[in-house]
Parts: sequence; structure tokens; C-alpha cells
Amino acid sequence: MSKKTADLDFAFTRRTAIAGAAGGLVWAGLIARLFQLQILDQERYQAQAEANHIKLQLAPPQRGRILDRFGRPLASHRRAGRISITPEQTDNPEHTLAQIAALIELPDERLERIANEIRLSRRRNAGFVPVTVAHELTYEDFARMNVHAAEMPGVNVEMALTRSYPRGRDFAHVLGYVARASQDDLVRLTGDMTDKEAETLKTMFRHPDMRTGRQGMERFAEEWLRGKPGYRKLVTNAHGRVIEEIPDERLAPTPGKDLFVTIDSDLQRVAIERFEGESGAAVVMDVESGDVLAMVSTPAFDPNDFVNGISTANYSELRDDTRSPLYPRAHGGVYPPGSTFKMVVATAALEAGAVKPTDRVHCNGYYHFGNRTWHCWKKGGHGSVNLHTGIKGSCDVYFYEIARRTGVDKIAETARKFGFGQDWVLGMTGGRGGLVPDREWKQRVRKENWYEGETLNFGIGQGQLGTTPLQLALMTARIATEGKPFKPRMIGIGPQSQDDHTLDAPLDPEVMKLMKAGMYGVTSEGGGTAYRSGDLGLGGPRLAGKTGTAQVRRITREERLSGVRSGSEIARELRDHALFVAYAPADNPKYAISVVVEHGEGGSRTAAPVARDILHFALKTDSRRKPSYSQSASLPTSMTDAGEPT
Amino acid sequence: MNREGFTGFSRGEARTRTATSLNFDNQGPLNKLMRLPWGFILLIAAMALTGIAMLYSSAHTNPAEAHLWKLQLVRFVVCFFMMIGLAMLPLSWWMRLAFPAYVGTIVLLILVEVMGVTGGGAQRWLQIGPVAVQPSEFAKLAVTMALARYYQMVLQPQTGRVMVHLGALAIILLPAALIFKQPDFGTTLALVASGGVVIFLAGLSVRVIGTGIIGGIASVWPIYQFVLAPYQRERVDTFLAQLFGGATNALGESYQIEQGKIAIGAGGLNGRGFLQGIQSQQDYVPEQHTDFILTVIAEEFGFLGSTALLVGFAVLLGWSLYSAARSVSWFGRLASAGAVATIGFYIVFNVGMVLGLLPVVGMPLPLISYGGTAMLTTMACFGLIIAAHMHRDEKLTARGLF
Repeated sequence: MSKKTADLDFAFTRRTAIAGAAGGLVWAGLIARLFQLQILDQERYQAQAEANHIKLQLAPPQRGRILDRFGRPLASHRRAGRISITPEQTDNPEHTLAQIAALIELPDERLERIANEIRLSRRRNAGFVPVTVAHELTYEDFARMNVHAAEMPGVNVEMALTRSYPRGRDFAHVLGYVARASQDDLVRLTGDMTDKEAETLKTMFRHPDMRTGRQGMERFAEEWLRGKPGYRKLVTNAHGRVIEEIPDERLAPTPGKDLFVTIDSDLQRVAIERFEGESGAAVVMDVESGDVLAMVSTPAFDPNDFVNGISTANYSELRDDTRSPLYPRAHGGVYPPGSTFKMVVATAALEAGAVKPTDRVHCNGYYHFGNRTWHCWKKGGHGSVNLHTGIKGSCDVYFYEIARRTGVDKIAETARKFGFGQDWVLGMTGGRGGLVPDREWKQRVRKENWYEGETLNFGIGQGQLGTTPLQLALMTARIATEGKPFKPRMIGIGPQSQDDHTLDAPLDPEVMKLMKAGMYGVTSEGGGTAYRSGDLGLGGPRLAGKTGTAQVRRITREERLSGVRSGSEIARELRDHALFVAYAPADNPKYAISVVVEHGEGGSRTAAPVARDILHFALKTDSRRKPSYSQSASLPTSMTDAGEPT
Repeated sequence: MNREGFTGFSRGEARTRTATSLNFDNQGPLNKLMRLPWGFILLIAAMALTGIAMLYSSAHTNPAEAHLWKLQLVRFVVCFFMMIGLAMLPLSWWMRLAFPAYVGTIVLLILVEVMGVTGGGAQRWLQIGPVAVQPSEFAKLAVTMALARYYQMVLQPQTGRVMVHLGALAIILLPAALIFKQPDFGTTLALVASGGVVIFLAGLSVRVIGTGIIGGIASVWPIYQFVLAPYQRERVDTFLAQLFGGATNALGESYQIEQGKIAIGAGGLNGRGFLQGIQSQQDYVPEQHTDFILTVIAEEFGFLGSTALLVGFAVLLGWSLYSAARSVSWFGRLASAGAVATIGFYIVFNVGMVLGLLPVVGMPLPLISYGGTAMLTTMACFGLIIAAHMHRDEKLTARGLF
């Protein structure tokens, strides 16, 4: 071998060593980098890995229930299967929707609406908020969807809690209903919040399970019922699909509080049934405690229809129904009280000293004042009447006279002492205060002087006077308790309205005794306008009451002359409303009631039997009416499980 | 260095041994089989099986990929026996195969250009019957063999000229140009780099190498500006941005690097345990069963596991290089060293990319990543290395081109 070859061999060996060393350096560099990432920066990357796969998802609180005085649920929850799509997790929402539509029935119109909603949410960068595709799934649909959900990215099939009103229509106007929070709702709810609080609330209300009270107690007690949102700790993969949930007590949402109302749901049911399909209202109160036991407005809507959004067609149907199921008659219906107002007029007259109980007025069927003639309901008149017979026979002429003597302002003042002219909230919405007219009102609103002739109409509960059935029940309760301070309430445990006050304006007990005697006469003495309704059918106790008729329109002179007065001869919707107010037992009042039967014509014929039957039931079940919530020492908290409560 | 002959083969001692104890070809195939470097082979098998376990870990939660580990296992077993077979092949056969293999690869690369299947934005695949192959992978081995063959032919004591190396450069640049056109920048770079190592080992003068390095550095900017495709430029930009801590779009190109780094960093010293990696098990790192499989190892077995892997590779390559240095024939030396360089650059490019030190160039981790062609090339490289080791004392004589 030549020297040259040896040099070449040696050069190769040397260069191999150099290459090996260079490789070794590179290797050392790679290991150093691994050391940096895995040892030095370990904590940072571990934190990032955690953050990567653990997502905190806003968990909506469970809304508190609404329970009646016995703890029976009027508003609670029901489990229902639901499908939703998380827009940011699906590549092709139309395709995904088509996949879902192949498995369950979905109308094209609805598919289009959801596709729109998804597009919108993507544009708003809110793709992380699930969009509901279908709710109230049948068991079969739910099972089928559950099996296939894994193949459809972004599709969630879950059991959701839905607000449920087990008593359906019975409490529609009291409870109202919940609905998805609209833009208007959010503006209203966040009105007095800081930006940050408002943002949290808005985020929470985007959750498909969240509802807000739109009407009634659901709205009034929104904050009480709502609770506070928490978070769910979810382990997700890179595609956002939830792998598992890590339970964390500290993050759990605070459920809303249960709300107890004073209503007796059995009594409510009995009362509604007693209307036998007629439209009208009834309010029953416990005169000792002021508890509202029944608050009936019929016909009504089913609040369950509103929870997941009512269709436009169904809503139009409700809105355009001539019997107005959306109209809360008991506290928002304003009626002229008619003759049920006569106790107020009599009280005002006695208090003003304008008349003595024994003073007599002669009624021959009409009353002249100025150059006009006012008629008594009884053709031919009542003859000579005093206070007692005036109330008992509901003599209009007697009340024209004493009203004229008393004057409008005194009657108005007394009316307010009975609770008229005020909107009693009692935890509801949609209530109205009605109107108690007086000189000042006429001057202010109508820019006219008060005509004395109007005082006469006022005296028999007609004219401008407007009252609600709730106010009539209050008036009756004040009479029944002989003027003791009285505070109505319908929320047993829960937020109380700041506007409702105690009716404690003094009423002379002696005067109230005279009113009670008069009302007893109505139902229990010869000549009483509701003589047949006095017996409660319970052996002993009787009821005392007062009939009334609210004119839907004026009786024309022609009709009066031709004798067409009976409503059966005129169109139904023009017939008068029948009213009846009563308390029972007559000798030891426990319950007060007011009943309005719309277009029922005569208080004695239609309203009084309704009132009597409701009171009958109320007294029969009287012994067990103590509310459950006053017996337990500790307040019940909201249920945590979702089943139908006992 | 337990062999004194390592410092100089000129005394004829080596040739004496070749004629006697080390000529296995005269001693029957079974004997030859027994004399294979079994420790080396077992280390290869252990690392490949680790890779298959990691493949199972990264893909078992995904129904579409859950079966891949079995497929890879079958490939490995096939390739393993192929490697043993290749290792037993006399080095002269390897030498005879060198140029035909090179020409065949060039033909395949041209076929890719003409009728290749596009995948991942580049035309790299060739569908041959039921299998899709990546001729650019074969090119790495073919170029190494062709270079060694070339130098075996031309490298004589009297031909220490620079001009000799121009032929080698041509051998490298022809397939490199074809691969670059696909485009596959990573493979091109690896090919040129390992080819360059062979030229360096073949004795190119230091002055020329220095000039080449300066020229290479000078050409970085023009290449970036005028040669690279926009998507390649974007990758380089992303890489530079994350390397220097600049703003990166977490959902774009750098998402993969970022998620990979999170997985690696989250592994810590000991790792989270087999099948326990939270990044790895939940699809956070794209291409985790192929190019980014190191992230699974790093997350589930920690710094200890990933370092052990690199040390394992270092042992394989170091031993191979040592063996190459002991070879008496230029073909044996350069083919073996070229194979080492090929596998070494695979590893450096892949690990550097996964660790965020190099741009994402789409390079698998030898023995570990999922993929048939890469497995085939890697195992063939090892076969060549072992064959060179077995015949290290054989003085080859080349006649003509075959």
C-alpha cells in the first residue's frame, strides 16, 4: 500500500470522528431542548395542557319551584330530551341537520329556522352557545339520537330540565310563565347592573336551559326563583367533545329558592270547575290571615305552551279568542261593581252622618234629580226602605238618595279605605287599580266639573267607577272583619311587594255590623236579592253576601219602554256581568269571596250559586287549611332532584 | 477501538484476516446468521416495538386509526426479515445493485412527476397496484449507495482532485431536483445533507467545504425569496415567529407546533404514563401518529423516556459510524456512513421540528412514526449498515459499472 492510500484511509477515519462528534453535539442540543421543555418549562406546559382540555362551562341554576300552601307544586320541573348543536364544533351545519332530520321528524320550516340561527350565531362569534334543534323528544327519538350522536360532531343529545306547570291552566294568570330571555327581557333584567354583572347574566341566559319569568309570579319573583349560575368542569378532547365531567362542589350553581303561595290549589280547582266554562273571576280570601286562597280567572291559557316558545299561530289563536284567555280578570279585569258597592256607599253615608240607619226613603221605582229620571232595578219600587232593607233589597232609589246626601268625595274616600282604586300586586303582574272617581279626578282628567247626577250613578256602583274582583274580595273581607286592619297576601314565603300595604284606615265596627246585617239579609231574609243562596248546605253555617250587576252598556229608553230588559233577548256579549260578594260563616266569618260571571246577567241567579258552592267547599275543608310552610321550623329549600315532587 | 488495525490498514494485516477468520461467505449461511450483531438488531427491534406501542397509544381512541398499530406491526415484521436478508447480502452484491437502484429511483421520481398522486399539497405518492409508495424515500438509500459505488470506482490514491467530487454532486442533485419539484423541501434537504456528509467523508478538501458553507449561507435568502413556494415560506415564517417568541396564530400553522410543545412539556420528568397523556389521548396534536409521535413518547414517558429514545438512536448510529470507520472498502465505508447520515438527518429534522427548533418539514421519526415507506427505507439502511459491518474487511474490486 502506498503512502497516498494510507493518508486517504487516515483522513476518512479522522473525518468520521469529526462527523460523529458533530452528530454528538447536535444530539446534546436536542436533549438540552428536551430538558428545557420538559423540566424547566414543565409547569407552564402542564398548566396549558390542563387549560387545553378542561373547560369551565356555565351551568345554569335550577329555578326554584312555586308551591301552594300545602307544598304542592304549581310550577316545577320535568325532564325532557333535547337535541342541540354547538355551531363551532360542526363543519357543515346543513349536513348535520340533514343527518338529524333523517332520524327524527323535523319540519322543513323548523330546519330552515335552525340553520339560520346557526349562521347568525357564527356571524356573532357566539358559536360556543348550543342552538336547540328539538326539545320534548319522545323516548324513542331520544334513544335513537343518543346512539347516533357520536357520529355527528357538535350534536348534543341530553336530558334537560324544563319548567313545568302541573296544574296547567289553573294558575296561568297567577304564575304567569317563563320563556327564553328576549332582548327586551335582558334589557329589563340588567337595568340596574354593572356591565360585568350584566355580561354574566346575559351569558347565563344564552344557555338553552335558562328561562326567565315573563309574566305573573314567575316574573315578580324572578330573582328569588332564579338562583346563581355555577360552572361545570368538563374534560374535552381537541374537538370539544366532552369526555367526562369532573365534579366540583365549589363550582356548583346555587339553585333558586322555592316560593310558597297562600293559594289552596284544590279550592282553586273547585272554583274553576264551578264556572262550568263561563268566563269570569273569583277571589277567595281567608279573612283572618289575609291569605288569598283562590285567584280564579277563566278561561285561561296553558303556561306550559309558552315555556319553549309558543308558535305564532297558537299565540294568535289565544290573542284573538273572543273569550280572552290571556286576560287576567281576577286582578286585571276592571268592572263596575254595581250593587256590590252599596255597602261602601252606605258606610260613607253613615260615617258622614248624612243618614241614620233608621232613616226611610220611599222608592216607587224611579228617582228624579234635576231634569232627569233615574230608575230602580225593581219596577214599581220597593216602597219605604231604610238602610237594612235598602241593602237587602238592593234598592237603587235609596242609594241615589243617600249618595246624593253624602257627596262624591266622601264616597270616594271611603271606597279607598276598602282598597278600591289601588293596584294590589300580591306578587302578580298585569294587575290594575281600577278607578275611584271624585271631583278632583274629573277636573284633572276630564277638565270638567263633577255633575251631581254622576254621584247618583256612583251610588249604585256604576258610572266611572271601576273595580277588580280582587278589590271586591278585599272590601268583603274588611266588612267581614268589621274594619280590623287587613293585609292581603298571596306569597307565603318569598319576596313581598313593596306597594301592597295594610288596609288600616279606620272603619267604625258598629257601621260594619250594620253592613253585615244587611248582607245577611240579602241571603237569609225575605226580600233578600239572593235569598236562595244563603244556605251553604253544611247544616249550620250560612253565608252573607251582596248581589251586583255590572252594566255592559246602557239600557236604552226604547228598551225600557218596550220592556226588553232581560238579557236573553239581547246578544250574549252585550249582556250584563253578574257579581256576588260574600263571606261565610255569617256569624263567624272565615272566608270572603267575590265572584264575577261575565255576561251572567243577574248576580243572584248566576254569581251567587257559584260563590255559595266555592264557600261550601272552603268551609267543608276548613280544618286542614293550615299552610304546611308555617308548621315546619326550617324553610324547605329547592329540590335538587328533578323528578315530580311528592 | 479494540482493533489495532484501525490506525492503519497498510500493513496487510487486515487482508490476512479477511482471508482467514472473517470471510463468512466461506462458512455457510447459518454461521453467518449467528455472527450478526444481534445486540444491534435487538435494539432496533426494541425501538420499533416502542414506536408501535406509542402508535397504539396515540390512535386507539380514534376508531378510524385504532387498527393502525397492527398494520405497522405487520410491516415491521416484514421489514425486519428483509433487513436480516439484506444484512447477509455480500457487499459486492450491494455494490452491483447500487447503480441500477439509483437509475430505478430516478425513473420512479420521473413517474411521480408524470402520474403521481397528490397528497398534502404535494405530488409525492406513486400508486403501484395496491400500495402507494413514496419514491423520494427510496431515493435516500439509492443516492447513498450510488455515491459509495461512485467513490469506490473513482477514489484512487492518485485522484485526490476536487473534480472527482463533481460527479458525486451530480448524483445527489439529479434526484434532489426532482424531489424538490414535488415539492418536498424536507426530503430534498435531508438528501443533500446526507449526500454532503458522504462527500465530506470521501475527502473533499476543507477549502472547498468552507467555500460551500459560505455559499450555502449566502444562498439562504435567495432560496427563501425565489425558490420556496408560498406555503413553504409561511412555514419558515411561522417557525421563526415561534422560535423568537413572536405572535403566532394558535389555530394556524403553529397550532401543531404549539400543541406538540405543550404535550412534550406536560410530560415532565417521568411522564403521565402509558395511555395517560391528556394531550395525546385527546387528539390535540395533529399528525400525532406520524411525524409528531415524539410528543406522545415525551408526554407519556417524560424527559426520561424521550432522552432514552434519543440515546437509543445515538447508540445505533454511533455503533454504525464506528463500524463504517473500520471498513476497508470505500463502498463499505461510505455506504454505511451515508446510511447513518440519512437516518441521522431524519432524526434531527424530525426531533428538531417537533421541539420547535426547525421549521415543520414533514419528516417521519425513523422506526417510530407510522408509515410503510419510511419503515422500509430505514430498515434497508440498517440492513446496509449491518452488511457493511459483516464485510468490513472485504476488499472490493469494481469492474465497470456493475
